[in-house]
Amino acid sequence: MSESARPPRWRMTRRGFLIGLGLAGGGLALGALFGLPAARLALSDLLGDGFGPPATLPKEPNLWFAIQPDGQVMMTMPKVEMGQGVHTALAQIAAEELGVSWEQIQIAQASSLGPVRDGAGTSASYSVMGLFPLLRETAATLREMLRAAGAEQLGIEIAQAQVSDGAVIDSADPTRRIGFGTLVSLPRDWQPPAEAAPLTPPERWRIIGQPTPRLDLPAKIRGLATYGYDARVEGMLYGAVARPPRLGARLRRAAPGTARERPGVVEVVIRDGFAGVVAESRLTAYAALNDLELEWELPPPFSQQDIDERLAAQANAGTPIQKRGDATRALQGARVIEATYRTPLAAHANLEPQAALVDVQTERVRAWVSTQSPIQVANTLASLLGRKPETVEVIPTYLGGGFGRKITTVVASEAALLSAAVGRPVHVGWTRTEEFRHSYLRPPTYATFRAALDATGTIVALEQRHVSGNVLFELIPAPLRWLFGSDFGAWRGARLVYAITDLLVTSHIVDLPVPTGPWRGLGLLANTFAVESFIDELAVAAKIDPLEFRLRHLPNTPVGRRFRATLLAVAEMSNWSETPLPGRARGIACSIDMNTIAAHVAEVGYEGDRLRVYRVWAAVDPGIAINPDGLIAQTEGGIMMGLSATLFERITIQDGQIAAGNFDRYPLLTIADAPEVQVQLLRSGDQPFGGGEPPMGPIAAAVANALFALSGERRRELPLLG
Amino acid sequence: MELIINGQRFTVAAEPARPLLYVLRDELGLTGTKFGCGAGICGACTVHVNGVATRSCQTMISTLAGAQITTIEGLANGERLHPVQQAFLELQVPQCGWCMSGQMMAAAALLAANPSPTRDDMIAAMRYNYCRCGTYARIGRAVMRAAELMKEGRQ
Repeated sequence: MSESARPPRWRMTRRGFLIGLGLAGGGLALGALFGLPAARLALSDLLGDGFGPPATLPKEPNLWFAIQPDGQVMMTMPKVEMGQGVHTALAQIAAEELGVSWEQIQIAQASSLGPVRDGAGTSASYSVMGLFPLLRETAATLREMLRAAGAEQLGIEIAQAQVSDGAVIDSADPTRRIGFGTLVSLPRDWQPPAEAAPLTPPERWRIIGQPTPRLDLPAKIRGLATYGYDARVEGMLYGAVARPPRLGARLRRAAPGTARERPGVVEVVIRDGFAGVVAESRLTAYAALNDLELEWELPPPFSQQDIDERLAAQANAGTPIQKRGDATRALQGARVIEATYRTPLAAHANLEPQAALVDVQTERVRAWVSTQSPIQVANTLASLLGRKPETVEVIPTYLGGGFGRKITTVVASEAALLSAAVGRPVHVGWTRTEEFRHSYLRPPTYATFRAALDATGTIVALEQRHVSGNVLFELIPAPLRWLFGSDFGAWRGARLVYAITDLLVTSHIVDLPVPTGPWRGLGLLANTFAVESFIDELAVAAKIDPLEFRLRHLPNTPVGRRFRATLLAVAEMSNWSETPLPGRARGIACSIDMNTIAAHVAEVGYEGDRLRVYRVWAAVDPGIAINPDGLIAQTEGGIMMGLSATLFERITIQDGQIAAGNFDRYPLLTIADAPEVQVQLLRSGDQPFGGGEPPMGPIAAAVANALFALSGERRRELPLLG
Repeated sequence: MELIINGQRFTVAAEPARPLLYVLRDELGLTGTKFGCGAGICGACTVHVNGVATRSCQTMISTLAGAQITTIEGLANGERLHPVQQAFLELQVPQCGWCMSGQMMAAAALLAANPSPTRDDMIAAMRYNYCRCGTYARIGRAVMRAAELMKEGRQ
């Protein structure tokens, strides 16, 4: 197939990363028309419930699929698998439209060179949502090409040719059939169909919507799956890189010292601002770092207090990201309820630290990298090494957790510099201490709320001023930053769904002396904690049940109705209207992200003096779930990870350095504190929305609200057990 | 010196002193055992030493002469999965999978010592293995399911 297909009418697209110029251009035009603040609000509205780059991937079936003579279909997988089940879900969509059985599809990871090049990388819960239309169309096109070829071979009209289980079948005589494998072995001038291929209607789906065992698990169960940290090739060496003793420190001078005398050391590599060691073993490379002579230029130290104060100082700055009526005026003279919510710096704590194996050779560069963004890594390596991009191949491995931490992957550059110096493949795998102290973090947030209720307990006005460290700003071009005025990654989850006549939400990004960036869900967990806790405070002030209070404030819009259904589902699952067991209490919260709505109820109590989250009920409306068991797993996992952040996690700064160097200073949730989780999926429409991040949104607020119901104490800062 | 791993004998250099984890992964190519923290906290590197769940990042090879070492690669009996692996697959437990070798080795050691664990026994054995993807609910169910599978296997 791949040899013979000629796709004259598909346009090869090689568009790059993120949002593209389309939106930037459109936004600039909007700005000229309505003025900047209005344009920013319009963009915020557009990005409000989550947004991803348009899928600009190629639609040539022969780039995506190779049909083997035995009828197996090999599908190219442009997204990386980090545990979110994306390979399985995308293969389900393809198998559905191709008309093959689930057993007939296999997958092969694409590299940065293709066959399908995905400049957007794997992030933002956008893979399934973004590829669903394109993949269906591409697979259906191939199916129709095969149908036409099969009909010709069987000597029947196309209308009489059915496609099922990877074969074209004569509907008048089902014993007459020809398999895809046979068809593609025949000489033929393959042409795309004259008309757009029809898509399989949802009522006839056999594979989409079925709980499907993950394709990656058999290898993972046996310990045979290869991750970046596991990448091995013949003749490879191990590298280690000297790290600054303080954030922002620069290497002023470096010398090999006694490193070269240590047995097993192959090379010491010193470049501007960089010192590393290549050795026969990882342990030797790390040990030899202590032999180097290094002089660091240290910036003045800063403390945790400096960061906290920088956020608080900016509480009244900010760009409007949601505005209706005039909240500021409506609050003048009203009885105002005020509160301030804070969340800390936090780590991704992906259990596989950063890792890359890079082989720099004269003609070409190959790299096996644990990365969410293989094409960005390839471009970075090409420019670092002065190579043409087409001579650099980045092969993404399985990821031992991504969570946003593997969107930029500096470890690949480190391994490349070391490999270039020795002419052999070099693996760099960070230690846990490097992972904690030299990564970017989830930014801290600071949100102040003011609101007023009327006599019926309706919110008449609400103002939120949101402050955060950078999430996406450093990843997007400066003109877009200027245009947006706010970091739409940082404020994910900060906009309110509720129908409030006078509403203002502003967002402001503070420069911090510590690197921050995307963490699973971006701002979602932190901002939903603040918004949905404050809504709970208003419900208490109005003396209205928190579920009822939310339902009353939902707008009568499609999204509002989806929220209503999701909240009612979680209420029913958790028997919300019934009193919990003595000593226990419940809290409720909801969120929308990447168009997926989630509502959680958490039940908490004390065991001795230890807070326990006993149970969590979650209702999730993801549009449709391609693999329901996969989405349930993402919901369970998001709740656990979110709960870990809610209860325990806080990065602190000490003397200009991140205090935690390992898990002893940054403990994670364990099975001993894991609640029982029950998940119900709702369906709305025929499109999948985001799955990897949105289901975690409400957990922190649900637990904090339950804690208030239990103790009467309103906790406005994470972590709750900090 | 000689190490006995998954029933096979391997000759490795006795010096320098180094933890088993690095020998497994970087010298013998047994990368199923994972590095997570290097400090004995996260459990990703758990193997069996004479049947006991052991942190390979904290175990120097000099202490392992004559010991029977089992890694995730040796947990199955050829094609036949260990009941713990069967249960973890049946309940679709792993997400990223990085912690899973350690989780399954910890579970297998528990069930070898205690074929009918209570939920509290299970938690006591599994509470020192981190899972960042948050698969704890399924891990708990899968360990109990593996105990059932082992009983069925013996009948």
